[in-house]
Amino acid sequence: MPPTSSSAASSRPTLPRRAAIVGANRIPFARSNGAYARASNQDMLTSALDGLVARFGLAGERLGEVAAGAVLKHSRDFNLTRESVLGSRLSAATPTYDVQQACGTSLQTAVLVANKIALGQIESGIAAGVDTTSDAPIEVNDELRRVLLAANRAKSTAGVLKALAGLRPGQIVPEIPANREPRTGMAMGEHAAQTAAAWGISRTAQDEITVASHQNLAAAYERGFFDDLMTPYLGLTRDNNLRADSTLEGLAKLKPVFKPAGYPDTEATMTAANSTPLTDGAATVLLASDEWAAERNLPVLAHVVDAETAAVDYVHGDEGLLMAPAYAVPRMLERNGLTLQDFDFYEFHEAFASTILATFAAWEDPIFCKERLGLDEPLGSFDRAKLNVVGSSLATGHPFAATGARIVPTLAKLLHEKGSGRGLISICAAGGQGVVAILEA
Amino acid sequence: MTVETLDGPPTLGVLYGRALLTARSGGSTLPDRRLDLPGVRIDASLVADYDHVCGFSVGGVVPPTYPHMLAFPLQMRLMTDREFPLPAPGMVHLRNVITQQRPPEVGEPLRVAVHADHLAAHPKGAQVDLVTAVTDADDVEIWGSRSTYFVRGAPAPDDEPSAAPEPDPQVGRLPHAVWRIPGDIGRRYAAVSGDVNPIHVNGLAAKAFGMPGTIAHGMWTKARVLAALAGRHGPAFTVDVVFKAPVRAPSKVYLHTAEADGGWDAKLVSPKGKDHLLLTLRDA
Repeated sequence: MPPTSSSAASSRPTLPRRAAIVGANRIPFARSNGAYARASNQDMLTSALDGLVARFGLAGERLGEVAAGAVLKHSRDFNLTRESVLGSRLSAATPTYDVQQACGTSLQTAVLVANKIALGQIESGIAAGVDTTSDAPIEVNDELRRVLLAANRAKSTAGVLKALAGLRPGQIVPEIPANREPRTGMAMGEHAAQTAAAWGISRTAQDEITVASHQNLAAAYERGFFDDLMTPYLGLTRDNNLRADSTLEGLAKLKPVFKPAGYPDTEATMTAANSTPLTDGAATVLLASDEWAAERNLPVLAHVVDAETAAVDYVHGDEGLLMAPAYAVPRMLERNGLTLQDFDFYEFHEAFASTILATFAAWEDPIFCKERLGLDEPLGSFDRAKLNVVGSSLATGHPFAATGARIVPTLAKLLHEKGSGRGLISICAAGGQGVVAILEA
Repeated sequence: MTVETLDGPPTLGVLYGRALLTARSGGSTLPDRRLDLPGVRIDASLVADYDHVCGFSVGGVVPPTYPHMLAFPLQMRLMTDREFPLPAPGMVHLRNVITQQRPPEVGEPLRVAVHADHLAAHPKGAQVDLVTAVTDADDVEIWGSRSTYFVRGAPAPDDEPSAAPEPDPQVGRLPHAVWRIPGDIGRRYAAVSGDVNPIHVNGLAAKAFGMPGTIAHGMWTKARVLAALAGRHGPAFTVDVVFKAPVRAPSKVYLHTAEADGGWDAKLVSPKGKDHLLLTLRDA
């Protein structure tokens, strides 16, 4: 600091600083077209925010910002987060913005809020995400939409009639959003099936991940781990996708789905159980500076250390759609002087059991690490007992944009319980992207 | 070669009607004349319609397949003449090579010139090339194409088929995209291209011409593949496509792509591995 700095500037904390994770609230996640079938994104996000406000006494409080998003969004919800905050008990003077990065959305909003806190631009903020696959937007058929828009642009009655002459009966068929990549025409599961086949991921290994996810989540509920992370909603007190009695024998009976294109002779391995189901839900996480938390006697569970986002060319390149985290993690490790083995907890979003197994296989493969990651040595393996110790998306379900805001406080609380330590978060996202982060307590 | 200068583009519907209804004398040699259409200006709104159907982004460069829209009515005018040796209805596109020096711009005055070339025997009939040159205001050719059309069972002088080697794209085993070809794509492409060849718009007519059902326009499949490669090549290039087997509408096809030395290779294949389209694109 030059000596001419004003006293106002010198009263500022040393920057950058690490943003603290104070706590969280989410609603239980519900399988599609079930408990939350009639709730909108705005309903669920408002409810999750109000639960957070109640837990931390934030009623009427002006926070630095709320950053949230949804993947499947009605056009009327262009200001989804702002509308939710206006309907919540937070101060109406709390600014907001919407972010959409597919399944990476609310880990990315947590990074955005944390970075502003780190730079001293804000003292507190909420990162959140919400998605409904039940109250999903249905679009009119693209041709019908163009006809109607052309009629709307027409300036004369004759012009309107001329435009409407383009109407055809077939245009009544609406377009329902599909979990499909626009440039490849393949469902996310079909992409994952290709990657699973490419890495030779076995059915049994996928089912083992699945059983562990359900058993770990069930045990975490039993010991009350989620008591201060969740508020009941519309009659649900737990994620209703959870099958505490999942067994390998039971899962082995399921018929595979998602046949991998281009592998006519490869046996399909992905089932409804080792793939995440469509789910509805919302999650929020409160971040702040240590000072802000201390002033309010609020806890600090953990701090955000670093984050990295990667993207891969799954369109014409030969990388799998969900493999971006395999690239993001080594870049982040390198920057922080860490190895893959330097963590106490590994929180990997289980989009599909095969996705995280393919990522682990890639990190153990010297050729992949050399040719794709430019590393002399493979990243290697890590102690699987530290993976998703309180369950993850296969058991909780996966409302796309809510997943990061579920995982961040889960890891923060695990680190806080342990007293000290370091954890890794990894989330893959549609569009060939991936967001990863490091937390420490 | 005589040059016939037109004062406006021919109307395709009329040409098809004439081709279907009038008796042809069917000469055995190609007409020794070139059709010239000066003062053509590309219309942004028509390009937008074309973009919507083929998957290009609206407002970007004019798609490299778009000048075919300007040339096709002239090709049809030549091919529907009573003296033209091959009948136009039921004609199938076998190959299309486009060489673009630069993309044409919306609104600039262009001259489109078309002539027929190389009538030849084909193992199952006859084939002919239609050659197009698009020149700008400085009389510089900015875009050229050679379209090879085939007519099943038609007689032809015992000439060797066009000798240029077919493109041989080198792509990997894994498809990069799975396309569900919509059942109405023939009708939609006909609406923007004017190419109302019955094999694309009517199932019964398609069967009458020996097709399994309505098939997608070859130039639509070429456009769709180029749209998928948007942003991955420069403004000047040659893109050579062979249409190996018609793509039925509706159907499912796989797109395979690979970056090649100085360009891109691509293939459209059926899920069972039958080649539909082979493409090589080489930057100039």
